[in-house]
Amino acid sequence: MMEPVIRVEHLNKRFRVKGKPFEQKKYVNAVSDVSFSIGKGETLGIVGESGCGKSTLGRTILKIHEPDGGKIYFEGEDITAYSYRQMHPLRRRMQMIFQDPYASLNPRFTVGEMIEEPMEVYHLYEKQERAERVQQLMQTVGLKPDHIRRYPHEFSGGQRQRIGIARTLALDPDFIVCDEPFSALDVSIQAQIINLLEKIQDEKKISYIVVAHDLNAVRHISHNIGVMYLGHLVEIGPAPLVYGEPLHPYTQALISAIPAADPDAAGMMNRIILTGEVPSPIDVPSGCPFCTRCKYCTDKCRERMPELKDVGGRKVACVRY
Amino acid sequence: MLNPSEYFEPLDPADKGDEYVAMESRTFGRDAWERFCGNRRALFGLILLGVIVLAAVIGPLVSPYPYDGMDPLSLSKGPSAAHWFGTDQMGRDELTRVLYGARISLMIGFVATAVNVVIGIVYGGIAGYVGGRVDNVMMRVMDVIQSVPAMIYMILIMLLLGSNVYSVMIGICVNGWVNMARVVRGQIVTLREREFAVAAFVLGVSRKRILFKHLMINTMGPIIVTATLMVPQAIFNEAFLSFIGIGISAPQASLGTLAQDAKMLLAKYPMQMVYPVLVICLVIFALNFIGEGLEEALNPKGRS
Amino acid sequence: MDALHRELLKVENLSVDFATKQGTVHAVRNISFQINTREIIGIVGESGSGKSVSMLAVMNLLADNASVTGGSIRFDGKELSTAGLSTRSERRAHEKMMMDIRGRDIGMVFQDPMTYLNPVLKIGLQLTEGIRKHRSCSKAEARERAIRLLGEVGISNPEKRLNQYPYEFSGGMRQRIIIAAALACDPRLLIADEPTTALDVTIQAQILSLIERLVKGMSSSALLITHDLGVVAELCDKIVIMYGGEIVERGTVREIFNETKHPYTMGLLNSIGKIEEERKPLGFIPGTPPNLLHVSGGCTFCSRCDRAMKICKEYRPAETVFSEEHSCSCWLYCKDRAQELVEAQERERQGRL
Repeated sequence: MMEPVIRVEHLNKRFRVKGKPFEQKKYVNAVSDVSFSIGKGETLGIVGESGCGKSTLGRTILKIHEPDGGKIYFEGEDITAYSYRQMHPLRRRMQMIFQDPYASLNPRFTVGEMIEEPMEVYHLYEKQERAERVQQLMQTVGLKPDHIRRYPHEFSGGQRQRIGIARTLALDPDFIVCDEPFSALDVSIQAQIINLLEKIQDEKKISYIVVAHDLNAVRHISHNIGVMYLGHLVEIGPAPLVYGEPLHPYTQALISAIPAADPDAAGMMNRIILTGEVPSPIDVPSGCPFCTRCKYCTDKCRERMPELKDVGGRKVACVRY
Repeated sequence: MLNPSEYFEPLDPADKGDEYVAMESRTFGRDAWERFCGNRRALFGLILLGVIVLAAVIGPLVSPYPYDGMDPLSLSKGPSAAHWFGTDQMGRDELTRVLYGARISLMIGFVATAVNVVIGIVYGGIAGYVGGRVDNVMMRVMDVIQSVPAMIYMILIMLLLGSNVYSVMIGICVNGWVNMARVVRGQIVTLREREFAVAAFVLGVSRKRILFKHLMINTMGPIIVTATLMVPQAIFNEAFLSFIGIGISAPQASLGTLAQDAKMLLAKYPMQMVYPVLVICLVIFALNFIGEGLEEALNPKGRS
Repeated sequence: MDALHRELLKVENLSVDFATKQGTVHAVRNISFQINTREIIGIVGESGSGKSVSMLAVMNLLADNASVTGGSIRFDGKELSTAGLSTRSERRAHEKMMMDIRGRDIGMVFQDPMTYLNPVLKIGLQLTEGIRKHRSCSKAEARERAIRLLGEVGISNPEKRLNQYPYEFSGGMRQRIIIAAALACDPRLLIADEPTTALDVTIQAQILSLIERLVKGMSSSALLITHDLGVVAELCDKIVIMYGGEIVERGTVREIFNETKHPYTMGLLNSIGKIEEERKPLGFIPGTPPNLLHVSGGCTFCSRCDRAMKICKEYRPAETVFSEEHSCSCWLYCKDRAQELVEAQERERQGRL
């Protein structure tokens, strides 16, 4: 079998929470014991509610945050303990697309400067060639090369997101983490960006992790889907299976909560409406984190977190299987 | 006019018009400049400062009198056609001396500020960007430096290095940069967390370049404003040192020494005191107006 | 009209302009719609389509640089539009009337609950304040009502919760508190501007079912502003689609989804991926939303429309009515009237010159 582009084993990341002085140190477990792998040209969609650690997961894999445990492999190379300097050549191949195209572009740089900079940093191409490539990249994402000297604030949200994508593509990466790439955009623009990301993937065989809370958009772009709840991966498998017949009670609730854009659909009739709130991530209940909102919860659930088990073509972490 | 027979023909995609991009906006600098010019006080300050700087640079060159040329025949004369501001008690032309003094004072003000800005940007930038323990230590060092009054440093440096222009500048710079460093650090700490800084990191941009190119370009506003307000402070400090007699020594003159010289004969020849003090006031006013105007012009909240 | 479905809010030919440095932005142009009692209406559009601005105009909460330049807004027989007001005392009297209507007759829910909640006041105070202002009742009565409301919106332990500050609640709970506050005086109309956009799907499901239950239960009406077609499909009876400051299509939910007329609405519907669908390029609308600084003489959607015709670029289409509720403004459906429409618009242009 081919070596996966990214393999993550038992990844952990926690953040210290400022408490009162002399109190015991408190931590938020943003990512706990997460394992998966992504093959070449594949997309893994990570879904979950805000605060479930999905963004942190993406950022930890790119080593923006240092992991607290577990291993990260990039094309079989263990990069978990790599230093800033060791990471530098790899960063060219591991990239990221950000959620907010208003915040992720430096307001004082022109479009041209922004797209050219990564190539300059890695000393790719001669100056003349770089200028040509900037034009080319702008065309790839559907921007007019005439606008090369414009500043980001002159563009609309969707156009800015495309500038961000062009900048990322300048380095010809093999792997891109897309952190909520659609959520700041209008519906008609979301579709543009989804199509663009899919087109690029088909052409260049890039692997994606798409982190999002918009379940419709993620479904469309992903081959595999991972569902996170309070830092834990509770279900992961091929998208049609996870969406079509979700097994974990949380996945079931999540999928059923998607409003169907079809007035004739049963809609709210057979919706599972979760009661209660997501518990605070600071003191996650021991055992299964979902047990406070789960209708199948038993004493066994409260004891310890169930492990991911192969069930019906995907992996689920629930004692019922 | 469209021919009715053509009404329902498909529109040529080329005629649909391009994707809309806002008109090329003026750069931030031009925008700020326009707002600055709209502020009458600031503009007045800028013109006033320009006139004073020009006079201070050109004045001593075109004046028929050298700044230290004494004329024993006309001591402490009032204004006349030959000496517009009169002469001082040594018979030197007062106008030439005031202009020369203004030159020295302004030079001290600008050079000291430039040094402070450079130190402040580097120190504050590093403290803010690296953060954590480094930031903590660097901040405490600044606290220690600032806990001693500025005057004490200046007087100590004067004693060590003698009374001349350079020791005045060094004296002003010993702790003048601390404010700038604090301003820069504060800005960098918030900018560091912004997504575009994370984006630059992921794109492999070195930390040095992120700090000095990506982040610093976004703090230029506050840096310029702080710097503008540092100049009058430096001029004032120099004048004060010279006035109490430990600044620049004769025959060189700054506005402060001129005032000090006039002190002895204040009752008899008050005008000799008025001229230099008036120039100090005007310079400080002008710079404060400019600083205020810049603060307004560069504050991006006013942008629509 | 039967007694159950009485007209409650009727907006006619409403236009709103914004004065900006670059010129006048015609944010809303000539929109008309109507809400009857016991109806939930959804206004759908992208950012900049004027959907929020028109609602702020209804509430008379527009920013200082915005003004209603024409049209009428009739709420239960009262005129809410400020277009005709000229003197200061008229305006003051109007604002006084609006103060009574807002909160009592019309409740509001915004996208970000923190713009509405004061972070340093206990939520109990913030809830009872509104109740006491609009219904003369004692402190204890208001408190009792606040507790009942919190219970109704599904917040456990309401007595204790009243003494907490907004930061002690999660986003979904804050939004529910806002809904409780909006419903505190049994309003006849609830206006919700993107009430669930900032929330997660499972919380969104809670909020939507809450709004539906409360609105239907109190026999009031609701106006839901959103960009999410899924939300309107589920909750609303009628839909109004806005684009570039104009209404391009309106109809009942079924008419909009099953008998779509306007190319923009089609584009919107195509661009939401269906859950069951396999990966293939999504239908999408090219380009970006229009710039309302320079409104052209033609159809606003023309530059992004895949069925654009030559006439679309030059002349505005007229509204074509398909059924009692369903109508659409697009040249595709008013070809037969083209000659007279063009002549009328030419005359209008001559007159302006």
